[in-house]
Amino acid sequence: MTTPQERAARLLRWYPKAWRHRYGEEFAELLIADIEERPVSAPRAVDVAQAGLLARLAMAGLAEPHLAWQPDPARRVQVSLGALCGALTACLALAAAMWSQLAIAWEWTPSATATATAPTMRATLVMSGALLVFLLLIVLAVAPVGYAIARNFTVRFLGPLLALAAAVSLLAFGGHHFLYQWPGSGGQGEGGTLFPVIPAGLQAFAWSLTYWFSAHWFWLATGLGGWEIAWIAASPLALAAAAAAAASLVRRAELSPRLLAYETRLAATTCAVTGVFLGGCGYWVYVGRSPGLAHAGVIDIAAAVLLALALAAAYQAQRTALRGLHLVRN
Amino acid sequence: MPKRDEERPRDDAGLAGFGRYAGPATLILSSLADGPKHGYALTKDVEEFAGVRLAPGTLYEALARLESQGMIEALAAEDRRRPYRLTAAGATALQAHLDAQRRATETGLRRLKANWGTV
Repeated sequence: MTTPQERAARLLRWYPKAWRHRYGEEFAELLIADIEERPVSAPRAVDVAQAGLLARLAMAGLAEPHLAWQPDPARRVQVSLGALCGALTACLALAAAMWSQLAIAWEWTPSATATATAPTMRATLVMSGALLVFLLLIVLAVAPVGYAIARNFTVRFLGPLLALAAAVSLLAFGGHHFLYQWPGSGGQGEGGTLFPVIPAGLQAFAWSLTYWFSAHWFWLATGLGGWEIAWIAASPLALAAAAAAAASLVRRAELSPRLLAYETRLAATTCAVTGVFLGGCGYWVYVGRSPGLAHAGVIDIAAAVLLALALAAAYQAQRTALRGLHLVRN
Repeated sequence: MPKRDEERPRDDAGLAGFGRYAGPATLILSSLADGPKHGYALTKDVEEFAGVRLAPGTLYEALARLESQGMIEALAAEDRRRPYRLTAAGATALQAHLDAQRRATETGLRRLKANWGTV
């Protein structure tokens, strides 16, 4: 039989450390009194879990930037921008996975059958345009942050910078090495209609980077060698490490309120562009139900759902950053 | 309660900006209008005057929001319990919120009486 103290301590674990540091003792006292009065209460457990998860979301920069137990609003904006960085990296990875598979399917589609799949082509063009704008926005977002880090470089940036460099190097090297190594990858097609528009090397590189998120390798599983399997396992980890390192750099950088406002506005535009990509993707899933090279399968639907979730997280982080910014200004 | 400072609520929307925590926040401020209380005493007082038992997670979510808006402030901990007290900003926000609620209540009652003959 557990004591009320032990049960209160267990419930308290729903909350993040910073919250527990501020309210932990008094909250535990309240819980102990409540447990002694009502030993069994499912609504209490649900309520504490819900509030604790909300506090964790706030700690991650995804909700309420102004709570008393959190550090100052300017830092909270940076935490939100760090979360945004992670969410948008997930969006980019998923978008690249879907786009490269679709673009390569188009490359392999003979021109003669292109008319029949014109709606899929329209979806591909929308996704391609959105992805291109997304990449341009990333450059616009990264450049001033990079400059701010370079201007005030200290040893605290070294760890995340080295991690980012290692992850990006691995992705670049591996992506290039496996460019044309998979059966059916880009650059080997029969001159489909999108071939002149989208460089074959680019789509093959995107394919290679995101090969882990495709059903293709599943069918080839028995034919995959050790290096291929290692790449399938390592590439998503490298992507996650790159996103975490980039988020850490954003959190540690000394960003002026003006730059924070610029990044937050840019993030809103990036979310909108991702929404356009998702729209194109939804259109493809809708029109690509018939069999063929550009067929949208279960994995593509799963990717679209995950992309929608990542976009929702990015949007929430952007809104939180915006609210934090409002508090900084006032 | 005497006014301890001239601080006004930082959120112009007052309690309306609390979303689903506006109700618990109103109950907490109403309870603290009678004097400082810690979490458990707040729960019991609210239960007594409003017939509502605030769940612990909800109570502390509302307390954190009220504190960050400068409507309440934490006092020194007694044992392991920390009492909270109403600030001038909190009293102003509570007054404005209750005035608005009273206007809505009076309008509703007047219309009920005029059209339905009740009250």
